[in-house]
This record gives sequence, C-alpha cells and structure tokens, in this order.
Amino acid sequence: MPSMDAISRNLMLDSLRDYAKKNIPYDLIREKDQANEFPEKILKDMYDHSKLGVHLLMVPSEYGGVSGGTYDIYRICEALAHIDLGIATAVFATFLGTDPLNVGGTEDQKKKWLERIAKENLMVAYAATEPDAGSDLVNLRTRAEHVIKNGQLVGYRITGNKQWISNGGVADLYTVLALAPGGPCWFLVERNMEGFAPGKHEDKHGIRLSNTAALSLDGVFVPKENLIGEVEGRGLLQAQAVFGYTRVMVAAFGLGAGWEAVEQAVRYSQQRIQAGGPLSDKQGYTHKLIVPHAVRLEAARAYIEETANRLDSGEHGLQTEGAIAKYSATESGNRAADDAIQAFGGYGYTRDFPVEKIKRDIKITCIYEGTSEVLEMTIYRGRWQEHLKTRGCYYSDMADKMDELHGRNPAVGAKASALALRALAAVMEECRAQKLTRHQSVTFSLGRLIAAAELSCVFAKTAAKDKYSESVRFDTQGWQAMSRVFAREAALRTASEGLALVLGSGEGSAALSAGVNMDEVQAAQKGMMEDMDLVAVKLKQTFKAR
Amino acid sequence: MHIAVCVKQVPDTTEVKINMETGTLIRAGVPSIINPYDHFALQTAMELKKAHPGIRVTVISMGPPQAKSVVQMGLALGADDGVLLSDMAFAGSDTWATSYAISRAVKKLGKVDMILAGMQAIDGDTAQTGPGVAQQLGIPQVTFCVKLDLDGKKIIAKKLIDGGYETVEVRAPALFTMIMPKEYVSQYPSFPEIHASLKKPFQVWSAAEIGAEPQYLGLKGSPTQVSKIYPPPQREKAAMTHGSSQEAVEKILDILRKEHFIEE
Repeated sequence: MPSMDAISRNLMLDSLRDYAKKNIPYDLIREKDQANEFPEKILKDMYDHSKLGVHLLMVPSEYGGVSGGTYDIYRICEALAHIDLGIATAVFATFLGTDPLNVGGTEDQKKKWLERIAKENLMVAYAATEPDAGSDLVNLRTRAEHVIKNGQLVGYRITGNKQWISNGGVADLYTVLALAPGGPCWFLVERNMEGFAPGKHEDKHGIRLSNTAALSLDGVFVPKENLIGEVEGRGLLQAQAVFGYTRVMVAAFGLGAGWEAVEQAVRYSQQRIQAGGPLSDKQGYTHKLIVPHAVRLEAARAYIEETANRLDSGEHGLQTEGAIAKYSATESGNRAADDAIQAFGGYGYTRDFPVEKIKRDIKITCIYEGTSEVLEMTIYRGRWQEHLKTRGCYYSDMADKMDELHGRNPAVGAKASALALRALAAVMEECRAQKLTRHQSVTFSLGRLIAAAELSCVFAKTAAKDKYSESVRFDTQGWQAMSRVFAREAALRTASEGLALVLGSGEGSAALSAGVNMDEVQAAQKGMMEDMDLVAVKLKQTFKAR
Repeated sequence: MHIAVCVKQVPDTTEVKINMETGTLIRAGVPSIINPYDHFALQTAMELKKAHPGIRVTVISMGPPQAKSVVQMGLALGADDGVLLSDMAFAGSDTWATSYAISRAVKKLGKVDMILAGMQAIDGDTAQTGPGVAQQLGIPQVTFCVKLDLDGKKIIAKKLIDGGYETVEVRAPALFTMIMPKEYVSQYPSFPEIHASLKKPFQVWSAAEIGAEPQYLGLKGSPTQVSKIYPPPQREKAAMTHGSSQEAVEKILDILRKEHFIEE
C-alpha cells in the first residue's frame, strides 16, 4: 500500500502520543513491568476504533481500515517504541498476524477476516516459531491433516506446539503456520476452538508488558475456508514476502527505543553538574556515550526511510534491505541503550529511571524477526550474489556515485562513504578470489561491513537533499555533520575490519591494499572532532533539559 | 445554525528556543500543534453540535499549506467543512491584517451565526485576532468564555471575569473567544476519524478569492512590527520553606532578619 498523506499520518501520531501522555505514565509501565503483566485495558483502548484504532493501519480502507503504507507504519512503530516496547510489540503482533491475510488471502477471506479485525477490534497473533524451528522454518513440526467427509475435503486438524508467540495468551485470532500434505500453509485459528490452549505468560528479561506464550494445538479442527489462500504449500513464500517490511517495523522499534534512551541521557546530561559543569559539556562523556549513538541511529533512520519509501512505491521483496535496516537500527539502539545507563551513572542502574527498562526491552529487537546473526547471513547472501553478478562492480559503481555526490556537495561525507564502499568491494573480491567465504565467520562479518558501508551511502545521499523528511529533528548543519561522522566511521571500520578479515583467514595482496586505500581512509578522518563537537551542541539544542 | 471556528497552527512553545544573537525563534525540529485554546473552541462547537441537531460547523485557519493540519484536525473531530486561507499575500500579517482576512472569509461563507476562537494563541499571546474579527464584521463579541449554551435564539455565554464568572446573553451573530476551564481534557481524533476526514469538503482560499484588498494584508497592511524577541531575564531561584504555616513563617522571618529587611 502506498503511504498516506503526511498530514493524516502526523495527526495519527499526535493522537497516539496524546493517548500515551494521558493514559500511560511511566509509573504504570514500571508497575506492570515489575508485575510482569499485560496492560489489557491500554491495549483494548488502543485497538478500540472509537478511541484510537491503531491496528487499523494494517487494514486496507475497503475493509474498514486506514490503509497505512510502510512509511506510515514505520513512523507509528517508532512512536510506539518511545512509549514502551512491550506495548509496541502487542500492536506489532497484530500487524504481523494480519500479514499472511493481506499477502495471501483470497478476496472472500480478506473481506471476512479483515473486516472482523477492523470492526471487532480483534487482537491477532502470528504463530510461526516452534520449539525446534525459529529462523529455520524448514523444521516445522506442526501438522495439518485433511478431514474428509463424504469424499470431500471439509477442513484440517492441526496438531503441534508453538513457542514465543507474542499476544499468545491474549489474542482473539491466530495465524498459525502448519505443514499440510501439500506443504506449509497459514491457517486462521480462533481462540475458542476446541483443542487450542495457550500456555503461561513467559517471565522475560524485557518487554514484560508484552504477553508471550507457547501455544498447544491438539487436533484443532479448522474449516477449509480458514486455509489462507485456499491453496496448500504457499506458507513459506507468504511469510518471506513480507520480511522486507516486517523487518522495517522492528527496525523502527530499535530506532524509537534507542532514541528514547539517547534523548533521556541528553536531557539528563544538561542538569547533572560534575566537576564544575554539566556533563553535556564534557567531550569525554558526550563523544563516548551520546554522539556516536545518535549518529548511528540517524544513519539507520535514513536507511529505514529509503527502504520504506521503496516498498511504498511498489518495489517487492527488498529482503536484504529490510535485513540491513533491522540489523543496523536494532544493534545501534541496543548499544545506545546500554550506554544510556552508563550516561545516567548509578541512577541509570535503578528502576527509577526508564533507561534501565529500555535496555532490557530493546534487546529483543536484536532477536525477534530474525536474530542479528541470521540477518548478517541474509545481508551477506543477498549482496554476495550482486557482487558476483556484477563481477565485483556492485560497490565500486556505488562508490563512483558517492564521488560524484562529493563533487556536488562536499559536506555530507560522500567521499568517506566512497572509500568505505571501495574498501568493501576490494575485501569482497579478495574473499572471492581466495575462497574465504568457506569460513562462516567471514560471511557474517561481511554482512556487518556491508550494512555499515551501505548506510553511509544512503545517509550521505539523504543528508544532501534540499528538504529532509518530517522525522528529522535536526537542521541541515546538524544532520550533515552526523552523516560525515558516520561515513568516517564506516570507512575506517570497513577498511580495518575488512583487512583483518582477509589477512586473518587468507593472504594479503597488492590489489587488496590498493582497494582498501588505508592512506585515504586515514586522511578522511580529519575534522572528526570538530563534527562530534557540533553534533553534541545540536543534540543539546534539540533535547533541552526538562 | 452555522458556527465558524477559527484555529491556528502554532509551534509547541515548550520546545521553542530563542536565538539570542539574532533575536529570532529557532523553529527547526519544533513540532507544530493546534493552539490549545482553539482546540477548546473546536470542542465547544462539537458539543453544541451534538446537543443541537442541525448545527453546521466550519473550521477556518490561515497559514502556509501545512496549516491544513489544524483544519483537518477539526474535520476529524467532527466539523463539517474546512477552509484554509493560504496565499503569499497573507505572509507577515499582524493581528489586524489577519482579522481582516478572516472576516472576509467569514463573509464568503454566507450566513454565520457564531464565530468561535481561542482567547489567544500561545505563540504571540496577543488575544487580539478574535476581537479584531468581530470588530471588522461589526458584530458583538464575548471574550474569555468557558462555556456556551443555546436557548432558542439566545446564546448564553459563561465568561471569566476578575474573581469569578459572568453569564452573558447575546443574539447571533456574535463572536466568542474561549478560555479552557481547569478540568478540560482535550480530545484527539481516532485513526479512522482522521482517515474519514479526508473525504470532507476542504478548500484553500487565496486573497483574491475572499475579495481581500492587498493593501490591508501582509506586512503592508500590518500596523504592528516586531522589532526584537528576547526571553525575559531569568529570575533567581526562590527559596521554598516547608513545614506547618507557623514553622514556615518563622523560617521566612529568619531570612528577612538575616538579610536586614526587618529589624528586631
């Protein structure tokens, strides 16, 4: 679905924030977090279409929804993550659970079920994971057997167990992945069906406001109309078709929760006086605990937005891009939250300050919807194909474009980004020539470097635009300084870690040294301190002490 | 009955900073919101509409194209149609030029019985535009209202005065500026209400379309010129005393004695 108009989207964001401000104070979140309790009333309100109706974003307007596009959903997910990642997950689970219907449902199924989800404010759960099948769904054990009456197929009996299902104990409707005789399929299972039983609410490290439960299905009968798409064997394709944008949603969670932690630290740092001045004026504090995280999160934002806009303009799949977006935003968010505790000192280590909870919550974003390691592999696999297909030109062509951009606008770090991309191209080529990708660790590390180099490219392109998107809270001067800081870091990382990768598993070569061009990478570091100082000032201006 | 509600998009003043060197507001990254008093005016109109069937509500704003946001907010909350006055000719208008433009727009709307506005906008805090509109239209105005009721042809307004409230009866057409009562809770529209508001009638009017004469608009038509903006000097922190009244008074007396404001 294309995204909606900016005004409608921002009105929805305002309504969501207003609801949270009035109804979800931190004390309540803290109480529920400690009690490990699902905030049922809040979620009921948020799903109530007369109050908020946040679940309607995933439902097209012809079925009573509001037809949100990927960009809209990213913005809402980011805002939800600022509130509480557990609550965000309870909304996300419905988005996710609705996906197989949106992607693979027949017209009649969409009409029936999407209309019910919209009208009855149904909470949905997405049940794919099993005790022995996480990212590797091929190990699927849940079975759906044919039920035949008078020689006709009338339905299926589903038997199996599902694990770590968000909304598992509280949903009204479940989309369940099971293996039918014709292959994996999605089935619509209602909570009250015989033989269906959710397990206990898990006692988790974080997102404790999100209900997570195992599901047990013991010969649950579903009529054949509940097979999504009404053709067996399409389940995995239907699941994969949406990874591009479901990962954008989790990326938005990493971004939102990560920024919430950084914002709180920036505000606090202006009030906390140590050694004669506020912490926010001390480089040893800001340039370690604050600035690098803000910069990485904004790089991830630029990448998320580009991916969301591409999906909204009709491009399909974008699984590698979705993986890069999620990997970068959630890893950066997780590290940002960790350092936010450090930034608060002893206070950060107590439950009186939300950063402690954010740190526990955000960890899940590096795990669900594809662990960081699975994503490193996905990113590597996607781009390795491109490297081979283009005979090694994939990243050098991109680097040429960055050099051109640098010619037009020398202020966005495009030159450093070009260095990162060229180093990456050289490292990948060397890995190919020496067959180093036989080491799994090399492939995963390549995934990491690819993400950093590509983010620097997209950040530089975006920072060079005349007008920034609605989500950017910094002026041109600030955002371009962030892009420069990120590009320098990406260049240095790609070059040094890339070299270490090849030298550690194979042999060095003249082509590698020339391609990585360490001299230029070093020269590009000039100006870093000044830019970090500038970013620290911009952060202070944007997030004033309260 | 036809009610026109005037709304303004303002920067969230809790987030605004002042550039001390240039004396201008730093607006980058500051969210825009509907002026809270206007939000209350809108909500008052909606309550009247709910209680008295047959009332039509039009939301009017003036500003750049993005100010459509506050008009759409009004539509989402239940208004019937919306108008945005947007034209470079309006840029730089002070309260007088703005009230001239709005009064022209109200005339174009046809028969309007009540005009509601916030008592003031939180960015300029002038409280002049609403009264200016009444003046330009030559209709009565009741300012600082907390509640409006209809009784046949009479409009009953409860307004804030020094030390209490005054109840005023007035006949249409009249203008009312609204001030929020303490217990007021602003309502925000739901997602489907926002989505549905896109289908309601909305128009953008230029200066020419409302028949406004250019010499009365923009900087040219504005007798007020803002020469400088600066934050008031920060006051020194007050010392707070705690305990019973007796104890607190003792402590204050101690301070006053120490500082030699009073002698034994």
